[in-house]
Amino acid sequence: MQKYTLPMLLALLGPALAWAAPDPKLLMPEFSGLAQKASESVTITLDPTLLSMAARFLDGNDPQDAATKEIIKGLRGIYVRSYTFDKDAEYAQSDIDAVRSQLSAPGWNPLVQTHSRKTRADVDIYIMLDHDQAVGLALIASEPRQFTIVNIIGAIDLDKLHKLEGQFGVPKLDIDGPKTPAQGTRK
Amino acid sequence: MNHDIESGMRSALRPLAPSEEFSQQLLARVAADPQARQKSYGLMPRIARPLAWWLATSLAACLVLAVGVERHLEQQRSQQSGLEARREVLQALRVTSQKLNLAYEAVKSESTSLPDEKPGD
Amino acid sequence: MNDAACDLLDEYLAKARSGERAALASLVRAHQRTVYSLALRMLGTRDLAEDLTQDVFMQLNGNLSAIESNRHLGFWLRQVTTNRAIDQLRRRSRVQLTSLDEEPELFCAEDGADPLLQRHLRALLSDLSPQARAVLLLRYQEDLDPMDIARTLDMPINTVKSHLKRSLETMREKTGGATLRCEDQPT
Repeated sequence: MQKYTLPMLLALLGPALAWAAPDPKLLMPEFSGLAQKASESVTITLDPTLLSMAARFLDGNDPQDAATKEIIKGLRGIYVRSYTFDKDAEYAQSDIDAVRSQLSAPGWNPLVQTHSRKTRADVDIYIMLDHDQAVGLALIASEPRQFTIVNIIGAIDLDKLHKLEGQFGVPKLDIDGPKTPAQGTRK
Repeated sequence: MNHDIESGMRSALRPLAPSEEFSQQLLARVAADPQARQKSYGLMPRIARPLAWWLATSLAACLVLAVGVERHLEQQRSQQSGLEARREVLQALRVTSQKLNLAYEAVKSESTSLPDEKPGD
Repeated sequence: MNDAACDLLDEYLAKARSGERAALASLVRAHQRTVYSLALRMLGTRDLAEDLTQDVFMQLNGNLSAIESNRHLGFWLRQVTTNRAIDQLRRRSRVQLTSLDEEPELFCAEDGADPLLQRHLRALLSDLSPQARAVLLLRYQEDLDPMDIARTLDMPINTVKSHLKRSLETMREKTGGATLRCEDQPT
């Protein structure tokens, strides 16, 4: 009877152990009805098929395309939900909090958590690591009239991300691997 | 342009069949429902053969005509899709970098320094 | 559907009303795709769509005597399916999270299908209010004209036309008729 116990135990624990592996994919609310209220909306869902399709159409001779091609090489998904409104408080903070709360799950490491008094913007950037390799990025930025959620799945190269900032005319963030997060004053 | 979009939407929204398993369960459930009164006999009427033949022939003729046109359109759509995917990737990364900049500005304006790493991290 | 097929279904309806189960089964088989597809595209998950489909046909079973013709049956099934789906969506909890990888296949997977148009359509469907979603599906899945849609949903015809116009405009924007404003923002 004893020789059947270990396989049975593994069969029982297997799913639980598999489930315990951290998943960099965020669950998103439907945001139904927001597009009609928003003055601008961006909804991007790029799975591995579409990413490889995009890569075929990126021109290696163009610096921006070439840099982009390098970044998306190791990626398995890019998901963006961004809505801009003409008035304050047109979206439900609970929707954003539902996504933000997932970042306290095991595996996610806070990289930057900021609040700007000037723009009243909160920005949270988290990285998921697997043996010191980044396997997921989550960015949640919320302002009174705008919110953006970005979820990137796959082997993100932070060095290449720095270069990306330069390509799009954005100053470097001076981020060097996972650190205790930079704390802005969060209300 | 509208015609293409509407045509694409009609094509994408053609009715889907449920799984065979569900279909069988549904039929069984409906048949077992007490509200379905059982008759002592019931003969399924024969489907008219000329009707089925006519439908099949018309459908085959329409399909042959459609294939040639569809192949040409498919190539065009494939190229369009690839360019659209490229545009979306660039846009996604642009939005990401804009928000990274937002964080950068917030950090700069608050003038906070990163605390030391905890030992053992 | 041509006249001969309609006559046949009228015959099945008459026999089903008098209790013939085989005839009732034929009616279910003839109409299940319509009901299931409406339910799936309204509710967004296979489980809920299957439950609703079953409920609709069970309700039909109890109301057969009130159905006058196959044409009336089609109208009745569309009306009951969309109204029940709208009710369910209204009762849904505020924040309903969906894994981006677990979304069911909502569209016809045929050779040459445009995956990007389908994604835009999926995004549009999720952004629309339940009523607007129902209008879109009755128009492009069921090929109803606006007057029939207005009757099915008990909605003013101008409201139907307005929903259709806005949906088409959104699809036109998404598929590149006009570039999104984010692209024009300086980086």
